[in-house]
Amino acid sequence: MARTRPIDTVELTEAEAIRRAQQGDADAFERIYRLHNRRVYALCLRMVGNTAEAEDLAQEAFLQLFRKIATFRGESAFSTWLHRLSVNVVLMRLRKKTLAETSLDETADADEESSGPRKDVGGPDLRLSGSVDRVNLERAGEKLPPGYRSIFVLHDVQGYEHNEIAAIMKCSIGNSKSQLHKARMRLRQLLQENERDRARQERQAAKGETAGNR
Amino acid sequence: MQCVQFDKTVENEPDGPLPADAILHLETCPDCRLLRSDLDVIRAASREWGAEELVPPPAIWVALRAQHESEGLIHGPQVPTHVQLGDSVGGKSWLTALLGGSGTSAPRLSLAGAGCLLLVASALLGLQLRMYSGNVSSNAGSGGVLARVLPAADSASASPLLGLDLHQTLEGDMERVMASLPGQNASLAMSLEENLGIVDHLIAACEKSMREQPDNPAVRQYLYGAYQQKAVLLATAIDRTTLEDR
Repeated sequence: MARTRPIDTVELTEAEAIRRAQQGDADAFERIYRLHNRRVYALCLRMVGNTAEAEDLAQEAFLQLFRKIATFRGESAFSTWLHRLSVNVVLMRLRKKTLAETSLDETADADEESSGPRKDVGGPDLRLSGSVDRVNLERAGEKLPPGYRSIFVLHDVQGYEHNEIAAIMKCSIGNSKSQLHKARMRLRQLLQENERDRARQERQAAKGETAGNR
Repeated sequence: MQCVQFDKTVENEPDGPLPADAILHLETCPDCRLLRSDLDVIRAASREWGAEELVPPPAIWVALRAQHESEGLIHGPQVPTHVQLGDSVGGKSWLTALLGGSGTSAPRLSLAGAGCLLLVASALLGLQLRMYSGNVSSNAGSGGVLARVLPAADSASASPLLGLDLHQTLEGDMERVMASLPGQNASLAMSLEENLGIVDHLIAACEKSMREQPDNPAVRQYLYGAYQQKAVLLATAIDRTTLEDR
């Protein structure tokens, strides 16, 4: 069926685009895609750390969105709905990869168990400042459990508020704050480990150099 | 306040202002000061990471659009559900279908010819041919079809009216191919029409992206790929009809 009348998609408001997309209007779909693609893609890429996979996930998220858009009734903000869906798509993939169907709380509990009681409090005397850049953080972030990583990426990297995260992750605001703190503590631990490894390698290299000079 | 209580306070309000007793604790506890400082460093590095602009490649929208159409989610000509972008870009399933389903019955000559032509086309496009004599024979089978695609695709990169001439040229070829199909081979004609529809859709989506992002080389690359597919499809059909006529 050919389009009956062309529309200027740039002029469409989000609400109008949603209404038209629910009727299968191709231009409205495109408008919605253009409005949200960067944020969804960034979210996917920062959560999985792999461009090809992020592209695949972003495509999957929008595909699911457009399959389900007819069921959107506006009870929550559209962006919240879309980002919840995107996070779920990413989490499903991450969980499939680790072959463990774990909930956010289960992940957090497991992590707490493995890391023991709050040993980070008054932890090793290793200051991070100066040694942490985007690349280090990205690497350490990849090692976070999926639940922690989601909240950390959503809040600290993507700039979502706790109330938005609570809506997206279907948890309480308090839970979101607590998970974020735990994620940061875990990141700190990972970054300190990296820093220690780096210092050790430097020492070994220096030793080797000294031995070579003798 | 003890360190454990300080930690709990920060956990409850990770970014909020510290209460007076927590501030007092910080003044006397170097470990918690260090913790606080490290968390600030992590926050700052996260903001730096988040500030980086990330633009998804246009291929995502092209693939999405093809998928939507195949599922009938949007208005537009229907595309068979088995068609994926990867198939149409890779040129596998629809060529196989055109040539007889399983591919085992396909004339080896046609496949080899189409493959060679595609390789030649890709190589020439890669070199971005700037010189074209202009008058290429309008007949003489599959070689003619591809020969006319290459310069037109090249000129499309410089023209805002992307591939319009090329599209018309290919339309002419299509009519010729359809007219030359043996009357009894209705399934071949149907398959050809169906697959041409798919490729046309891909071309339309690529052209739309090209109009929006005329300077994006990736979009142009996709458009060329789509034109190549149509040319190869027509070339293969011509090969096939030529073989059946013999």
